[in-house]
Amino acid sequence: MNELESKRNRRRVGLKVARAFLITAASAIFWLILWFLTSTFLAGFPNYLTLFTVLAGGFLFFTFTIALAEGTIYKYILMITRAFFLIVYLTHATNGGILTINLENLAFTVEFVPLLALMVFINLLDVARRLLQAIEFASQSPKD
Amino acid sequence: MRLTVKALGWIIILLWIIALALPLSVAFSLLKLAEGKNLGIQEPSFTFFNGNVSINMPMYVNNTGLYDISEVNVKINIKEAKTVIMALSKSLPDIPAGQVVKANCTFTANLKEIFQKAPTLLTEDADLNVNAALHFRMAYTIAFNITQSFSTRWGAPFHNLTVSNVVYNAAAQITSFFVSFSNHAFFSLDNPLTVELYNSHNEMVGAASLALKVPSGEAFQEPVEVAVNPSKMTETVFIRLFFAELKIFDGRFSL
Repeated sequence: MNELESKRNRRRVGLKVARAFLITAASAIFWLILWFLTSTFLAGFPNYLTLFTVLAGGFLFFTFTIALAEGTIYKYILMITRAFFLIVYLTHATNGGILTINLENLAFTVEFVPLLALMVFINLLDVARRLLQAIEFASQSPKD
Repeated sequence: MRLTVKALGWIIILLWIIALALPLSVAFSLLKLAEGKNLGIQEPSFTFFNGNVSINMPMYVNNTGLYDISEVNVKINIKEAKTVIMALSKSLPDIPAGQVVKANCTFTANLKEIFQKAPTLLTEDADLNVNAALHFRMAYTIAFNITQSFSTRWGAPFHNLTVSNVVYNAAAQITSFFVSFSNHAFFSLDNPLTVELYNSHNEMVGAASLALKVPSGEAFQEPVEVAVNPSKMTETVFIRLFFAELKIFDGRFSL
């Protein structure tokens, strides 16, 4: 009986991991397409490769772990972490909403602090939503 | 709770659409503004009056973009070596979407203030560093700042200023000499030149005013006669030249 249950459990975990891999692979294809689309005209942007790699890598990690944590409260915790990751990333990558590109003796600065504030606000709203979902999930499944 | 979560989800989607569509539409507006003849600056004109120099640049903007353009500001900083000799700023009116706005961008600077900061500019040609910045905000949200640095040649109004052939005529109680220079400046010189003579004890022995009318790019050479007080005259005299109350020459001469 125990052996049968552990076999079932192993199969369930295997399926979960396979599903997480498939979702992450699909996600990776999306990021790859995005890279091809954006790299041509954003290649001159300072640290573009590093910033894109961090964003894509971070999102792929969260996609995999969230898919893996499906059906548990950890899914919501990871989603909240992802929202905070995005807040930190956006603030750091955009240099607090002020970007400067230097071209020989010409400097081009774009300042979009209100837009960055809106993006941070959206992520905070997402945190609130995930918290509510986590509370709802915990109230429905006392085992977790 | 489920309804709240759902509502929050929709709000988040809506806000993301706004947050992503706004920069894209602003970029589209900028491209529309940059194409064709939607932006133009006519040839600047320079005027020199009463010790002030004015630069006037008529310009027009045809805002074919989707958003209003606000906070339009032009700043010009001119440096000689590390000294800021001129800081000019001009705010232009807002440009509503779909409208053509014509404006005059006029900068006025006081030459006396400039030469007080960098007196050598009166007599020596120099390379000036110009830093021009254009600032504007689109959709009242995204601001752009374009800064360009370049150097420009400054032509001195009293280039190669020389005082020569200083002669004292004791009988006529007059000291005469020649003043020569080339006006390398972009403006003509119309202000008078004050000439002061001092003896070796630093006492003023005579003064005169020399009317100037030297167009840009032309040379000047004129004899100057200064009536002097013979009782105070010494064998050595100091000739000092002043322009707009600024000392531009101080030379020691033996008679």
